Amino acid sequence: MAQAQVPVTVLTGYLGAGKTTLLNRILSEQHGKKYAVIVNEFGELGVDNDLVVNADEEVFEMNNGCICCTVRGDLIRIIEGLMKRKEKFDGILVETTGLADPGPVAQTFFTDEDVKARTRLDAIVTVVDAKHFLGQLEQGDEAEEQVAFADVILLNKTDLVSAEDLAKVEARIKSINPYARLHRTQKSQIELAAILDKGAFDLKRILEFEPDFLEHGHDHDHGDEVASLSFTADRPVDPDRFQKWMGALLQLRGGDILRSKGILAIDGAPRRYVFQGVHMMMDADWGSLWKDGEKRASKLVFIGRNLDAENLKRGFEDCLK
Amino acid sequence: MKFDLGNPAWRATLPPSRSVAADAPVSACAFSRDGKIAAFALGDGCVRLIAADVTAAPSAATDPVHKGAVLSLIADPLNDGFVSGGDDGRLLRIGLDGKATEIANHKGKWIDKLAAHRGNGTVAASAGKMALVVDKSGEVREFGPHQSTVTAVDFSKDGSRIACSHYDGITIWSIGHVVLPPRRFAWRGSHVALKWSTDGKFIATGTQENDIHVWRIAQANDMRMAGYPAKVKSLSWSADARWLYTSSQPVFTAWPFAGKGPEGKPPLQFGEEGAGLFTVVAAHPTAEYVAGGYDSGELQLGDIKTRRSVVLKMSDGAPVSALAWSPDGTRLAAGNENGDMLVIDLRR
Repeated sequence: MAQAQVPVTVLTGYLGAGKTTLLNRILSEQHGKKYAVIVNEFGELGVDNDLVVNADEEVFEMNNGCICCTVRGDLIRIIEGLMKRKEKFDGILVETTGLADPGPVAQTFFTDEDVKARTRLDAIVTVVDAKHFLGQLEQGDEAEEQVAFADVILLNKTDLVSAEDLAKVEARIKSINPYARLHRTQKSQIELAAILDKGAFDLKRILEFEPDFLEHGHDHDHGDEVASLSFTADRPVDPDRFQKWMGALLQLRGGDILRSKGILAIDGAPRRYVFQGVHMMMDADWGSLWKDGEKRASKLVFIGRNLDAENLKRGFEDCLK
Repeated sequence: MKFDLGNPAWRATLPPSRSVAADAPVSACAFSRDGKIAAFALGDGCVRLIAADVTAAPSAATDPVHKGAVLSLIADPLNDGFVSGGDDGRLLRIGLDGKATEIANHKGKWIDKLAAHRGNGTVAASAGKMALVVDKSGEVREFGPHQSTVTAVDFSKDGSRIACSHYDGITIWSIGHVVLPPRRFAWRGSHVALKWSTDGKFIATGTQENDIHVWRIAQANDMRMAGYPAKVKSLSWSADARWLYTSSQPVFTAWPFAGKGPEGKPPLQFGEEGAGLFTVVAAHPTAEYVAGGYDSGELQLGDIKTRRSVVLKMSDGAPVSALAWSPDGTRLAAGNENGDMLVIDLRR
């Protein structure tokens, strides 16, 4: 039965951060909505519910030779299967395992035509354990990447840390990803409106979603750590040069660039050009009209590791008229 | 069995049919072994039985047999009933009275692909990373685990083996009581559909990357056919194994497997271009015909000998999601994502 694309929320977070608590609330609370939940550990949720589907996080590499082009085949299959049901969903939540890289989940929604026709990636929500986050950063890349990918961050278990430690954790999160909306929570208590149907991947809503978009990132050297960089320009962008530069950049550095977003003032174009990407996959479209007399400025954001600020800045400036 | 598609009658009128509407998408359909009943698997857990005789009084809807959606359905190879699989993890035998008996229950897994071997009375099913084989005594044996979820199963011509598709290739298991190690054929990527050729010599898969892959089993060599605009989720071998029909094209598309095989040859494309792309194709069970359903809802019947095609149903916007021939090849069953179930009588 033909219906609008179902929004999909990806829920990530390190082991024990509070994802299951959040999902249990979404499934048991009276909100009058129907959400299908795709979980990785069957039975971990307290509720026995028809709307809960077990997934195995089956990642495969696309056959195009790009090492970062990995996709969740199980999700493609499950979403197709869910659409065969009589009941229609207001949304789908995909929980990833605590150690999962959110990249393949997000890329699934850029890659598969059937999935794209039936669903739309709404936002990546990351639950962070305020007490253990700094320690988790030492144990591998996962905790850091989950924050880097996020559109919404629940800084959870704030009752278990001192105000001083909480400020430290929050500062660290912002150094990785200053663009995500951050909510301080206890026991994953949050208004569902704060995490669902955010349109974070909707090119038309990029500006609306990110009030801090114009804020300058932290472009000092972080070495191997994930960091964000942002660039602005007042001169118009040459579309051909930009396409060439961005294409080559994502091709070469797509593994390190976790997310990218931009709003560009293209030379001679009446509308904004907006794009966003996950690793080397990218979506782009024309956005809203520039108003008369409005300052036509371009903005570009990267979140990733080993980002060479000088080099990126020069590359972007070479694209300007 | 002869359809003269050049006869103007095929163009002047649509063949007689019966349409019944359900309020859940159709995921699969099949005719019973005796050809008298068409069954439709629905997204509300029901299996709907409709008489193949399009003039008979329509039967009433029955209660759901699966909790959730019915994902797969085939004719029961042992009797005139059906076998169904659902997202409730149950594999069921459905009698002609609509009553279900459970063959297997794998809660938490989806039974989304089924195959049957009529001669041996055997049924194969996917259940997560495992393949299940049910012999005619009802004994269920498991094969696997495979490296990822089994996406399709099919029997060899003699029914002694099954092939399973998954990530990075396919696996062939001997299902006789002599246990042999499985044979694996590798090709990187995600394989989403599989059909063993009707002569047993080839296995074809459709991949996530909009191409098809075919293995020549005896020589263990393989070939890849690219250039599709979408994933090929439906494959069907002609009864004489000379042609492999594939979906995801606007016209009937058949790869030639007679003689030296399709290497270096283009596929044969024929018939009138329909609205959209084929979502399902089904070769006639005995003769040179093929039926196909489009993502627009259009249905066509093709004749590979004369390279003609005729429209059996106009497009209505609801993608065709299921298509099956009666065993004698006189009738077609089709279902769509809107829940419309159709039985067409092609005798004219």
